[in-house]
Amino acid sequence: MKKKRFRENIFKTALARFLTNEKWTKLTVPVFSIVLTLIVSSVFLLILGKNPLAAFQAFLAGNGFAAKVSYGAGAGMISDFFQFLNVMAPLLLASLAFIFGYRCGLFNIGIAGQMLLSGFVATITIGYMKELSPWIAKPLVILVGIVVGGLLGAFIGFLKYKFNIHEVVSTIMVNYIISYSTGFFINSKFIDPISRASKVITPASRLTLTKVNIGGFYCNVPFGIVLALIVAFIVHYIFERTVFGFELRAVGSNRNAARYAGINVGRQIVFSMMFSGILAGMAGVTYYLGYTNQILPKTLAGMGYDSIATALLGNSSPLGAILASMLITVFQNGSSYLSSVLGVAKEIASVITGILLLFSACGGFFRYVAQGYLRKVADERAYREGRAQEEAEKAAKAAEEAAAAGSEESKEKGGADE
Amino acid sequence: MSAQNEEYIVEMRHITKRFPGIVANDNVTIQVRKGEIYALLGENGAGKSTLMSMLYGLYEPDHGEIRIRGEKVVFKSPSEAAARNIGMVHQHFKLVENYTVGENIVLGIEPMKKALGIFPYVDMKEANEKIRALSKDYGLEVNPTDLISDINVSIRQRVEIMKMLYREAEILIFDEPTAILTPQEIEYLLKIMEELRKGGKTIILITHKIEEIRRIADRCAILRRGKLIDVLDVKTTSTQEMANLMVGRNVELTTKKSAPDYGDVVLDVNDLSVWNEDKVEVVKHVSFQIRAGEIFAIAGVSGNGQVELADAITGLVKADNGTVKLNGVDITHKSIRERSEEGISYIPEDRQKFGVFLDFSLSDNLVLRRYFKTPYSRKGVFDRAECVSYADRLIEEYDIRSGQGAKTIVRSMSGGNQQKAIVGREIEEHSPLVIFVQPTRGLDMGAIENIHREIVAERDRGAAILLISLELDEVMGLADTIGVIYSGRLLKVADAATLTSQEVGRYMMGVTEA
Repeated sequence: MKKKRFRENIFKTALARFLTNEKWTKLTVPVFSIVLTLIVSSVFLLILGKNPLAAFQAFLAGNGFAAKVSYGAGAGMISDFFQFLNVMAPLLLASLAFIFGYRCGLFNIGIAGQMLLSGFVATITIGYMKELSPWIAKPLVILVGIVVGGLLGAFIGFLKYKFNIHEVVSTIMVNYIISYSTGFFINSKFIDPISRASKVITPASRLTLTKVNIGGFYCNVPFGIVLALIVAFIVHYIFERTVFGFELRAVGSNRNAARYAGINVGRQIVFSMMFSGILAGMAGVTYYLGYTNQILPKTLAGMGYDSIATALLGNSSPLGAILASMLITVFQNGSSYLSSVLGVAKEIASVITGILLLFSACGGFFRYVAQGYLRKVADERAYREGRAQEEAEKAAKAAEEAAAAGSEESKEKGGADE
Repeated sequence: MSAQNEEYIVEMRHITKRFPGIVANDNVTIQVRKGEIYALLGENGAGKSTLMSMLYGLYEPDHGEIRIRGEKVVFKSPSEAAARNIGMVHQHFKLVENYTVGENIVLGIEPMKKALGIFPYVDMKEANEKIRALSKDYGLEVNPTDLISDINVSIRQRVEIMKMLYREAEILIFDEPTAILTPQEIEYLLKIMEELRKGGKTIILITHKIEEIRRIADRCAILRRGKLIDVLDVKTTSTQEMANLMVGRNVELTTKKSAPDYGDVVLDVNDLSVWNEDKVEVVKHVSFQIRAGEIFAIAGVSGNGQVELADAITGLVKADNGTVKLNGVDITHKSIRERSEEGISYIPEDRQKFGVFLDFSLSDNLVLRRYFKTPYSRKGVFDRAECVSYADRLIEEYDIRSGQGAKTIVRSMSGGNQQKAIVGREIEEHSPLVIFVQPTRGLDMGAIENIHREIVAERDRGAAILLISLELDEVMGLADTIGVIYSGRLLKVADAATLTSQEVGRYMMGVTEA
């Protein structure tokens, strides 16, 4: 065997074990991706001549997880933290929307459009309705979001079920239609000539309470985050514990086998898109009637697309999405403070987010490489053990022979003595 | 010593190869003479393919040596083996779909020429001529200008063989070549192999089908659990003997069954027609009945509408004409779920595409017929404990082997155990009608025996059995009544006792008058 034999490296083995551990792989692989992201983005920041540690500190401070150098009047760490929740709430809802479709094998790339349409309808109905008590207005806003998003999603699902139109194609088309038609109505009817966006909604209908005094600091308190967290757990429950969720996953996993098992595949597809739309609608109202209070015409929220990546970063699991949306929000929301402190362009945050998504998309690949490495290690061990066993057998045999020869000899000797 | 060894073209001596947890080959020695057909017989996992992979250069043995024409060799890659004129036809073909047959054959060793002395190009004309000549020599009909995507599996296999011949391979390894072929195509392939032997080629045939070995091989090495059990002269050994050696115990080649005891008609198919997606009528006005306690087997060459017929009965495809009645109830327009609840169990042909969710746990797969019912779920919410205990019972009862019991992901299980899970799940419903489509495809002898026993047990319980199989032996061995399907029509329905396998074979070819 002249071929150089494979050599095991203990650190590599430990890392591979860490990544493939059956119980924790869902957690360890994303953690590994995040660590890689921090390393690579540090290199980026070093090239720009900035201190990466200061940059990460700034990301944390920008979201209220660490103290800033100075604060404006009436603002504090807690205000930043609430701002962080304001951004996270719609992002979490939007990624849950994606997950709901994705687990059923549907790629809902139209979340941005569904968000915009439900935000728009809620704005022009409830948002502009004067003299409505906040106790009625806020639930109504959410209800409008649910109804509009649900109808739109069901329509997409119906197109797929009835006419076999792929959801990616139809949602992209519908995104354009929504973007331009709502843009037309905003520009012609609801425009605020100064801000060039739609007129602001009534405070009663806004899902975020502005300038709430908490411990002497003014905070924008979002109801959306409570809604989003509750919804995440409900979605988790639906997928893991209910028959409905099982059938959705079945359709997503193997459509033929689902049909064979008697599951009504068409109905599940329509339902899946409908629920995806409902969640996107909720994301839309928490975004346009919470985080902001007006709509820029002809602009789709980038969050609608970020949500896809967020969902994938969270292993397309609802609870994973909570952590993933926190992380993405830290980078996105912390970017302005970062740029003001370090003097780098705001876009560096998007670069870092991009790197994070790139690595998290490689999760399956990392696992595959780790498994391959462990297989090699095991092969090598099997070979060694086999060898050792043979050696031992050989040695035992030799010893036995030697012993036999010895005894023979001694016998002979004994005979000679006699 | 060397003079003695020269009679063997391939020698693999004391080969040992270990994989984690198992010894794939344990001190195996085989010696193959030039110009013979040497069969390697063994069940799935016996180590046949591993042994040949070492001869083909995919793995290196941990131990032992390989000699080709008396000369010791160490292969580090398949190309080194190819340089020694060794070629292998893999179970899964390696062909480029949108290239022609000729282009696939010359791929990697293209005959290059230069136009005007400068511009290099591939001389396909010359290559195609050479291929035509080779195909005449060995009776291998291939047309070098056909596209791979336009030709069927059997011809694709011929292309793979041609690839080896074009590379002047002398030692040809066939890995389970008949697994995907119909009986007629198998016949044709065996003839080709005989031609090749006549042409002086040495053939090593990996298989678990004893019949083929009897037909064609000169000698046969039997492997079991990585060990070489015996090398036999095929002419002087009986089929039973080979089967026993292969499995390691006494095998019943024919399933014992008592005389049939028919009850009332369970399934009544009347004038059923099915059009497929391309608007071709694939099942044409088929009518038959199956009584309780009867195994009704449909024999036929693959692609004659038998799968569509089963799908139309279970509701996976829509019947365009005719009726299907189960216990007197018209189910023609019912949904799949309604039909299965009415009392149909279905073991589908493509088990991984239809029968199981590969990424779901074994318990999720085993409760597939019941998960929507109490006590497995209540008001739409699962009771996981009930599901797992039901799964555990089936695992025990049907001897389903898996790494981690009920929570094993089905993808990690062997094909035989996946099939056991499907069969167990479907039989456990105690349905009045059980449909088996190709229930033993790709399984080894022990598993086949097991499934045949289950089929007969179901019939004795009083179920009506519809068995659809491409294996004529299986049909002849199990059926009480045989229906032969050809081109979507049921050509002949008769009591199994009144038909010989030759007659059935003739009907399968579409001959109506004997």
